[in-house]
Formats: sequence, structure tokens, C-alpha cells
Amino acid sequence: MDSLIPFTTSGSLVDCVDRKMLVVLRDGRKLQGVLRSYDQFANLVLEDTVERIYHQDVFAEMKRGLYLIRGENVVLLGEIDLDQEDDVPLRQVDWESLEPYHQKDIADKKARDEHKANILFDKHGFCKEGGEGDGY
Amino acid sequence: MLPLSLLNAAQNKPMLVELKNGETFNGHLVNCDNFMNITLREVYQTSAEGDRFWKLKECYIRGSTIKYLRVPDQLLDVVKDEQNRAREAGRGPRGGGTGGRGGRGMSQRGGRGAARGGPMRGARGRGRGI
Repeated sequence: MDSLIPFTTSGSLVDCVDRKMLVVLRDGRKLQGVLRSYDQFANLVLEDTVERIYHQDVFAEMKRGLYLIRGENVVLLGEIDLDQEDDVPLRQVDWESLEPYHQKDIADKKARDEHKANILFDKHGFCKEGGEGDGY
Repeated sequence: MLPLSLLNAAQNKPMLVELKNGETFNGHLVNCDNFMNITLREVYQTSAEGDRFWKLKECYIRGSTIKYLRVPDQLLDVVKDEQNRAREAGRGPRGGGTGGRGGRGMSQRGGRGAARGGPMRGARGRGRGI
């Protein structure tokens, strides 16, 4: 049966329906939820979604509920192995305490990328990135 | 239940829309189309930094600018119930054989049905070629 389904966006997502999935968005957000539906644009419906943030070896979660994600913004969609997800050597802390660190990570990365882009532009003749600057 | 059908079913429900630029819009869905263009009423707009707010009576959002929508958790259940009821209502007059097939086709795993169309179309193509 598998071999009959062509490798297309819709074809490869059939097996993911009703599974717990990780979705990474272009803005860097990481969402985990149960994939309930999708279409030819990879628009996704995620149920019981939680957003996760990470900093070094700790993470925090925030319940978000039901999402309808516009496919364009999806960078990655991966299945979460329920047997292994609890073995991941990360420690969970509460959101409020981790969020400042997470925001700082984002700001640092932005500054670093800008710095790099400026060096490339000034000294090596590269053009500046014209888009949204998220690397995708 | 395709994503856009879910959006259609969310009419008059409260939702949060985040745009690609990070701005968010909280309001009740008035209308939407297949491009994901939407109109909201009684809207609270929040700037990307989350530090400025606007209140709008009504607003239109072009679908292509949307990052995601957050809709009420109960919406999926409501829609499933409605689909089941519509199926029950449709089954009676049509009767036995076709009823069964229709039922499977409309199962909530919308993706399955669509994907199955692929191989079948291919088969028909080969038939004509010979």
C-alpha cells in the first residue's frame, strides 16, 4: 500500500495523521501536538499543542491548544517517538523562569547574524540578505 | 476535515491570528475564503513586540500574510459532531450500498481519501493507453 502512494507532500503526510508531531516554524518556534489534518499546501491542524522553548539543557512548555498553521511557515514536521521522548536528557523548568534566557538567546543570535552579515558585506563583497532574515 | 474546512466551521468563533510579521489579531471570525483571507470583528491588535495595542471594530486580513490561527479547542469536536449528524441525515433516503461507501469516504482522515485518488487515477490512465 505504501508503495502506491506517490512521494508528494500529501502522500508523505498520510502516515503522520493522529500522531504526536513536532513542528518548527520559520520564526523558530517549536510546537508539539497531534496532527489532525493537512492539505496540499501543508496547512496543518494541530490539536493539544504545546509550545516549547529551550536553553542549554533545560526546556519549558506552555499549553497552546488548537492550531491551524499556514503551510508556508512550516520548516520541519517530525514524528515524536512516544517510547523515547521521556528518555531525552533535558530537565523541565517553569516557563516564566526560562523565558528571559530564551529571549536573550534570540536577541544574541540576531546580533551575531547581523554582525556576520556586516562583515560579509563590508569586507567580502557579499550582498545583504533582503528577506525576512530568518535564513529560510 | 481539511484545515480550511475547519476555518470555515470557525465562523463567529473567537480566534487569535498571528501574521508573519508577528502582529496578532484577537477577534471573532466573520468570514473567510479558500485563500485564507479572513475578516474579523471586535478586534484587539497587538504589535509584534507585544507592547502596543489597538482596538478595531472590524478588519480584513489577507491570507498570504498569516502565520497561524489559534482556534477554540472544542471546535474539532463540534465539527466532528456536525459531520456525523450530516452523514446520519444523508444516509436514510440513499439507502444500503451507497451509504456504506459514502461513509468511508467521509471519514475524518480526509488525507487518506485524497491520497487514494492518486493510484486510481494512474490506473485509469494506463487503461486508456492500451
